[in-house]
Amino acid sequence: MSLFKRILIANRGEIAVRVIRACRELGIEAVAVYSDADARALHVALADYAIRIGPPPAAESYLSIDAVIAAAQSAGADAIHPGYGFLSENHDFAGACAAHGRTFIGPPARVIATMGSKVAARELARKAGAPVVPGETPREQSDVAIAEAARRVGFPVLLKPSEGGGGIGMKAVRTESELAHAIPQARREAQAAFGDGTLYVERLIDSPRHVEFQILADAHGHIVHVFERECSIQRRHQKVIEETPSPAVTPALRHRMGAAAVAVARAAGYVNAGTIEFLLAGSGDSASFYFLEMNTRLQVEHPITEQVAGIDLVAAQIRVAAGEPLPWAQEQLTQRGHAIELRVYAEDPAAGYLPQAGPLLLYREPAMPGVRIDSGFVEGGEVSVHYDPLLAKLIASAESRDAARRRALAALHGFPILGIRTNVALLREILQHPRFAAGDIDTGFLDAERDALHTRLVRSEPSPEALAVAAAASGRPGVSAASPQPDPWTTLRETRL
Amino acid sequence: MTVTPLGNGRYEVVTDTARTLAYAARQHDQTWVFIHGQVVVIGPAGGAVSRRRPHDDAALAAPMPATVTSINVSPGQAVKAGDVLVTLEAMKMEMAVTAPRDGVVDAVNCRPGELVQPGVALVTLVPPGRASEGGPQNER
Repeated sequence: MSLFKRILIANRGEIAVRVIRACRELGIEAVAVYSDADARALHVALADYAIRIGPPPAAESYLSIDAVIAAAQSAGADAIHPGYGFLSENHDFAGACAAHGRTFIGPPARVIATMGSKVAARELARKAGAPVVPGETPREQSDVAIAEAARRVGFPVLLKPSEGGGGIGMKAVRTESELAHAIPQARREAQAAFGDGTLYVERLIDSPRHVEFQILADAHGHIVHVFERECSIQRRHQKVIEETPSPAVTPALRHRMGAAAVAVARAAGYVNAGTIEFLLAGSGDSASFYFLEMNTRLQVEHPITEQVAGIDLVAAQIRVAAGEPLPWAQEQLTQRGHAIELRVYAEDPAAGYLPQAGPLLLYREPAMPGVRIDSGFVEGGEVSVHYDPLLAKLIASAESRDAARRRALAALHGFPILGIRTNVALLREILQHPRFAAGDIDTGFLDAERDALHTRLVRSEPSPEALAVAAAASGRPGVSAASPQPDPWTTLRETRL
Repeated sequence: MTVTPLGNGRYEVVTDTARTLAYAARQHDQTWVFIHGQVVVIGPAGGAVSRRRPHDDAALAAPMPATVTSINVSPGQAVKAGDVLVTLEAMKMEMAVTAPRDGVVDAVNCRPGELVQPGVALVTLVPPGRASEGGPQNER
């Protein structure tokens, strides 16, 4: 077996750490890259080699194709793992790796390009037989033509800026009578936001779930799916909690969705790990699903799939990139138990989700059965303003959904993070919300339950216990803090057992 | 109640009814405490530290360079403290700029899609019941 000798990880934070660990297990040397803001980051400390690639702004470091390729050349890395984000879905970068004789651990550049275009990806999915959300950009953009398109697509519809993205300027129209007013308004908003008033008319899927399928394909034409992940707990652009299996997916539905996902990957000529995202309307055997997009990279939430399927997706990515065949056939893959991932962000939900930067004065990850923490930070580290504020991913697995949910709660209870505000309190409220506990979730959950969740985040005065601990920590007199006493744990530490 | 330092930021808290493990760390004049699964930040006076001064006009500016994703108000509109005025995106995160107090929107100083810098009020507010072109309101 000849895998790679040395892999450069073109990323930072928890995903760089994750890939470095996979390299270690496979006996491959790991090369980290870092910006000046990350000189003392965990991924740099863990790697066999580390190369500075620029100043803190991502555009001049982690997003600089030239800097990353130069680092790979000077380190003698024969392959490059892009992680997620940054250059991972940049087909120019994948092409540059190939041009400089380094294996890009991901799909071919042309596949990234095709699937990166929403229009091309949708067309490819439709031809491959995957359902897509009905919609069209009317060639003639008069009010009359758009109204006709809305009738063809079927109400309720969404009027979207054709040039837009990220949910900006979208207008929901539930009945025909609202059209006369909504069309000119949507056009104005599209014009204001994107300088182009062209509208796309799409069927509005009410309260959908976000259910995605993990795909893995090798260079020999074998493609498998590694089941679904439900990622309905999200704010715009950002998933917060993911789980697998989805509470809405039955075996028959899983079979249909998995087959559609594999068909799309096959039509795209896909190689390596990827994810097909669907919107799911309803639940159970009769639910309808619609192709949304394909992510041509490893996902943030890949660990829940690993926990439930008992596989290592990063190791599989590396093996497939080295030309090995897939280690398993579809029938050999099974789901066992349930896994939930919580994304611990350095952000303050009580202050409009304001991202937080600062020192991790105290940071102790919980260690307990069934809990996996993927993180890129250690105590004493610093969360920088320059990058994504993801601190850690807490993955709880257990034999049932409810057991995994309780385990996640218990783990949060023993996860002190001091020095920087986090979303941990919000995560706890979501886990305890009756709708979440019942699996009754959709992509509108966080907006719909926002008030209920946030009311509980408002803190009352500190408890007497908290004040007493603060007094003891600051050495203030006049409180009932005891003097340090011999403690069995500290004294035992000095005893040889 | 007895609080016993166990070293390395750990504290044992024993009350008449319960025993619990807590963690604490200090920075400047603030003490961060983790107890019963909750984080509390305690100032030098012993009270909880509020996150943001409630009447601060700095609250109307972007906290860091950010892109405006939506504007939820228009001039002349009355808003209540806590209403979302503008949403921003930075660090791949969405942030809401909320009204620090009740008031009426006097002007909106940004456009959707615009990259805004900290220190500039994205929305200006005048007190409720006061027309923007009017002079200073007399104290009554």
